Amino acid sequence: MILIGELSLWVAILMAAWTTTVSWAGGYQRRPDLVFSGERAMYATFAFTIVAAIGLWYAIFTHDFSLKFVASYTSMNLPSVYLFSSLWAGQAGSMLFWTLILSMYGAVAVYANRSRLRNMMPWVTGTMGLITLFFLMATAFGANPFERLDWVPADGRGMNPQLQNPGMAIHPPMLYFGLVATAVPFAFAIGALVTRQLDGEWLAAVRRWSLLSWFFLTIGIVLGMWWAYVELGWSGYWAWDPVENSSLLPWLTGTAFLHSIMIQEKRGMLRKWNVTLVVVTFLLSILGTFITRSGVIESVHAFAQSSVGSWFLYFLIAATILTSVLVSTRLKDMEAKAELESMVSREAAFLYNNLILVGIAFTTLWGTLFPIFSEWVQGEKITVGQPFFNSVNTPLGLLLLALTGIGPLIAWRRASTANLKRQFLMPVSMGVFAVVALLLLGMRHFYAIVFYGLAAFVATTITQEFVKGIGARRRMYQEGLALAGVRLVARNRRRYGGYVVHFGIVVMFAAFAGLYFRKDYVAVELKAGDTYAAVDPWGDTWTFTSEGMSTYNTLNRRVVAISLKTTRNGEPMGTMLAEKRQHFDATGATTFEPSTEVAIKEMAGQDVYVFFSGLTDAETAVMNFHFNPLVIWVWIGGFIMAFGGVIVMWPQTERRERGYVAELSPQHEGALVGAGA
Amino acid sequence: MNRPAVPQMVRRAFIARCAVAVPLSLIAWRSARAQPSSTVNMSGDFYLPVRPAAKPDAVPQLDETAVIALERELACPCPCSLDIYTCRTTDVACTNSPAIHRDVVLMVDGGYTGDEIVAQLTSTYGQRIRLVPSKSGFNLVAWFLPFVAVGTGGLVIARLLHSWRRNAVQAANGTPSDIRAIAVQGTDDELARLNAALRDDSR
Repeated sequence: MILIGELSLWVAILMAAWTTTVSWAGGYQRRPDLVFSGERAMYATFAFTIVAAIGLWYAIFTHDFSLKFVASYTSMNLPSVYLFSSLWAGQAGSMLFWTLILSMYGAVAVYANRSRLRNMMPWVTGTMGLITLFFLMATAFGANPFERLDWVPADGRGMNPQLQNPGMAIHPPMLYFGLVATAVPFAFAIGALVTRQLDGEWLAAVRRWSLLSWFFLTIGIVLGMWWAYVELGWSGYWAWDPVENSSLLPWLTGTAFLHSIMIQEKRGMLRKWNVTLVVVTFLLSILGTFITRSGVIESVHAFAQSSVGSWFLYFLIAATILTSVLVSTRLKDMEAKAELESMVSREAAFLYNNLILVGIAFTTLWGTLFPIFSEWVQGEKITVGQPFFNSVNTPLGLLLLALTGIGPLIAWRRASTANLKRQFLMPVSMGVFAVVALLLLGMRHFYAIVFYGLAAFVATTITQEFVKGIGARRRMYQEGLALAGVRLVARNRRRYGGYVVHFGIVVMFAAFAGLYFRKDYVAVELKAGDTYAAVDPWGDTWTFTSEGMSTYNTLNRRVVAISLKTTRNGEPMGTMLAEKRQHFDATGATTFEPSTEVAIKEMAGQDVYVFFSGLTDAETAVMNFHFNPLVIWVWIGGFIMAFGGVIVMWPQTERRERGYVAELSPQHEGALVGAGA
Repeated sequence: MNRPAVPQMVRRAFIARCAVAVPLSLIAWRSARAQPSSTVNMSGDFYLPVRPAAKPDAVPQLDETAVIALERELACPCPCSLDIYTCRTTDVACTNSPAIHRDVVLMVDGGYTGDEIVAQLTSTYGQRIRLVPSKSGFNLVAWFLPFVAVGTGGLVIARLLHSWRRNAVQAANGTPSDIRAIAVQGTDDELARLNAALRDDSR
């Protein structure tokens, strides 16, 4: 099976090469037989890549340590779930996994458009084939998971303990699904540029895939934050690490695209900008892959350095140049007569929204790459860390939050003064009320006050839109509250799904601001029976009483656990268990450095985060206690965003769309949306 | 199926893009070659002692909170991506951040201010000990460029919106945005009069 898998990888390379060659030839010569052959080859590429992945999984599950990858990332005593996820625990396996997703997307894109966009599809298929070919070759020649060792070890090295976490089993695939999905809109962009068909069905296809990418990236990024929070022990979830940044970059430009594409759909404007965003989003995902896999920038999350990094660099350079040439030759095709009745319009708000999103992306990219630039110019590598990103991106984030509320309230084309007054009165009032209330309650942190004021403003705009929409439906169709709410969302999923996403953003931003008030108590030494008292950000006093330490072996690790009985203002709050783990292999030999499992008590107002730092002697534990306000709302906000994404993506059937148009045109639509659709 | 049309090359745009893409690619390429090693090894020894003599009649200038704030802006030299404070209170495998912390405490006890401590550390470790680029020399670019870029973008958008608004006004008046656009030959004066006449007719 392993040999079949390895051979399949090589056959997949041939299939991908065939896909590209005959698809482009078929497109150029207008020969349907070649086009169909290319499409079938895309399916075959996917099939052979699946067999290659199954071959590697088989090797992993049968503990074939003759394979370097299996010996490096697994061991006999690794639990099954982590044997499965070990495919993406190392460079080579993750390359194959990435390629598997890519070829799957290619096959799905071809199948979904088997009777649509026939002029464009050969170029789309060929481009997907070419990208797949690149990844297959980088896997086979740069980081081959089927590479064999000269000798067969009795046991593998095992998986890094920090990767032995449920979040790590799900987070990378989600991120890969999102990053890889950016290739499909890119392929459609190439197809549209080559055939000069930059409107209509192209937009629908690109939007669908961009949404899918956005959805998976959102989930992947939030899961990554969660993993970092529960696993790394520093009680934070985002450190502006280069690898974290590289997943955020395509998310930011992808989000900008999902907003600006609406202007092209509604008004036919911004064609050049939209194509640019699609291309840039894909290139940023490749750049991120380069950063993660090349070792060019230091990161605790990066894979070990390998030659595969240079593959990505050359691909990035080639893709940038070729795409630039193609875009340059199509500029005239993308000209559009642009008109705007008023500077105060949704178009303008969306443009500024794009500016801020791309501005944050630029800042993040700039900060990430600045160490390289500084070394290039000054001969000395500058470190650019969290304080820099927080200083520069926080004001931009506030502007973005404000625009999240402002944009949907302004009408397309032109907003009248009366419209603005009607739309903004309540949200602005609520924002001001929140600021005054917080000041009266004693809050003095400038950014926190602005964050919460804007959060109240945006939350009110969203609520107002739902209230108006539901009220209009109830008046028009005499529906109950719940039914009107469900139908309102169901019949205009893009609009109201978008509002749900915006609400998730508001919840997240409010949670981010909570960290301004975190309290840390570090290096606290506790013996059995000792009690430590600490005051949390809400003014409550917590006590932590050590019930002593226990040591035991389980699965593939030796555990030292400290049990802490907790109280808040004298009220019992249960027991928290923090652990120190030392992993070992099947022979009992220790593997990796000791790792830590934090104890977290999650509550609506704050997380109590306890970190077992180490031992000073056999009886004394060194503990860190952190009170992190509102962290749970980061995860809830992420879930709300993903849920909103599902609503937006959920297919709207033709029958319903027609029914909706008949049902809501045009005076009803105005009544429903207030600001005009 | 239509044969794709022969591409129309817009030379200036192509050259402009190449002018941006090629140097960036070269920089990235050279950097990739220049920095070959980055295998993460948190337990490695990157510590360099920084222990200047205490000032005469030294009085500590920083309290514990200020020390923590200072350490949050200093990078641990091991590749953990963390600041000294977070690293020393989290990653027990790292021996670098506790050692640097001890040096910081010694300097505080020796009467050094925050800026002086940063300067001492920078003179030994170089700029990479700082988590934020200094606000001097080339490093100023790190701070200003994002705001310059966003500001420039804002101006471009404002100009774009203004031109779109002008298009809309002209369309509402029933006048082509530029009379030359309909390939009418004539002097500027003749074109102006024709423009005025067309505007009158449209009323």
